[in-house]
Amino acid sequence: MKSSLINGVTIDDTFAEAFGMSGTGLIITADTPKWAMICATTMTGFGTSVIGCGAECGIDRVLSPDETPDGRPGVRVLMFGFSPDALIPQVANRVGQCVLTSPGSACYAAVDGPIPIPLGTALRQFGDGWQTARRAGGKRYWRVPVMDGEFVCEDKTGCVTTAVGGGNLLLLGTDRRGTLEVAEAAIDAIAKVPDCITPFPGGIVRSGSKVGSKYAGMFASANDAFAPTLKGATRTELNADTVCVLEIVIDGLTSADVANAMRAGLSAIIANGAAKGVTRVSAGNYGGKLGQHHYHLRELV
Amino acid sequence: MSQLTLTLKSAPATRIDLSGLAPAIAGGASASALALLTIAPATRLGDLFAISGSTGGDINLSGTTSRVDGIGAGLTGGTWTVEGDTGANAGLDMRGGKLIIKGNAGHYLASGMKAGTIHVTGNAGDFVGGVASGKRFGMTGGSVIIDGNSGSRTGNKMRRGLILVRGTAGEAAGSRMVGGTIVAEGGFGPHTGQLMRRGTLIGPKVEHMSATFADCGTHELVILSIMSRAWTHDLGPLAPKPLPAKVRRYAGDLASIGKGEILLTA
Repeated sequence: MKSSLINGVTIDDTFAEAFGMSGTGLIITADTPKWAMICATTMTGFGTSVIGCGAECGIDRVLSPDETPDGRPGVRVLMFGFSPDALIPQVANRVGQCVLTSPGSACYAAVDGPIPIPLGTALRQFGDGWQTARRAGGKRYWRVPVMDGEFVCEDKTGCVTTAVGGGNLLLLGTDRRGTLEVAEAAIDAIAKVPDCITPFPGGIVRSGSKVGSKYAGMFASANDAFAPTLKGATRTELNADTVCVLEIVIDGLTSADVANAMRAGLSAIIANGAAKGVTRVSAGNYGGKLGQHHYHLRELV
Repeated sequence: MSQLTLTLKSAPATRIDLSGLAPAIAGGASASALALLTIAPATRLGDLFAISGSTGGDINLSGTTSRVDGIGAGLTGGTWTVEGDTGANAGLDMRGGKLIIKGNAGHYLASGMKAGTIHVTGNAGDFVGGVASGKRFGMTGGSVIIDGNSGSRTGNKMRRGLILVRGTAGEAAGSRMVGGTIVAEGGFGPHTGQLMRRGTLIGPKVEHMSATFADCGTHELVILSIMSRAWTHDLGPLAPKPLPAKVRRYAGDLASIGKGEILLTA
């Protein structure tokens, strides 16, 4: 494999393989930035992978009051799923359980896509007949009475089917703490890129998987080629001194967003990776046959 | 851009009806064809109006009086500016565009209006945005801004849209209303919201609040910020004045289904 050494970090000549997905988004507002963030964090929880969580969810960015429909502090969250139909129950359940319930919250569309996803359409029935609809600026809002006033919720949000899920970077390091710090810096850089999220805990995955398993019924299992404790026992992909591999997974509303996020992440890793023990950056793929989107690392640096 | 100017030569002795004008212009009629439009028995537009310019752009009317009915009826786009008063049914069934009346408007202004904007610099008569006989609803969209006062039953059976009265709205504003918003910055008269089902009335006071409106207390309503911002975005300087953070909410009319509200801003 040809690779290039940049600023002490080896960039593998490989590519991340990602998949077409459907993406939707919401603006969540509250009386204070703190409560908008609590609400957004709660509603995007348990949203790491479509395989087990139904949707991949994350916070895109914090919104200032003049960016939100009601002039209050807000947070934009994005949700990704296999299809618009798969996102519908995810939006309804997450907004119903985590946004409706959160003090002072309100919820609006944040993606202007061609496919409508019901928002207030379903939730309004919590009002038990006391809910009222209101049209403002060409959009329809529901006012649902709750115990701290009214829950205001836009009727629908939009969904795009041009989203991409599974853009990724693998950081290989000789020091666990250092590698984590570099991954965190990459996440901070990616957070500044609009229209994308890193859905795993803190944006980082440590259990990258391979397809299939020796056990029936398991679709994915330990990526033994990237497991440092097996490097002598298996056909490893790691260097002799690698002790830690961390993965960053990126979902974006468009392919360009994912590429921009990977570029930002790579740049942060190259900038201060070597000093903290990151020796190599690689990416996960399936030989290029499964995913429609390929992101070649060396084209992104 | 071309302009068409219609100037009333002398005050008409009977009522005249200009409701055919906007559809004829929309249908591509030329200025000379418009002169032949019948606007009263044995009376054509050219008999009473001096017509200059050509169609295809903005329309200006001047010298109109309260006997000139149907100005801007059926308007679908473009800007009409009226220098003078208008009779009944100005902006009737409007579907778009902008109608500016620099004067007073008669009864049934904006009746059946679906979209667009009407701005009256003077006062308006009764039944602004009200339901016409034989119709199910009054206004179903768009915005009406009246710098002066409005008459009785403003928004009678209104369903959607905004009526802003910078002065006071007369007796029984919002009667039988099924949706939409009426803002009366100078306050409302008696019998406000009589038999309203849904919709929102906003103003500093109501002259004698009906017993069938229930005081629900003072609240901060998120929806008001959304509405304020949308009005400012859509109407610019014509938008209602900023609303206070807290309003006193009265639910009613409880003699109907009671899902409407009067929000007092003072």
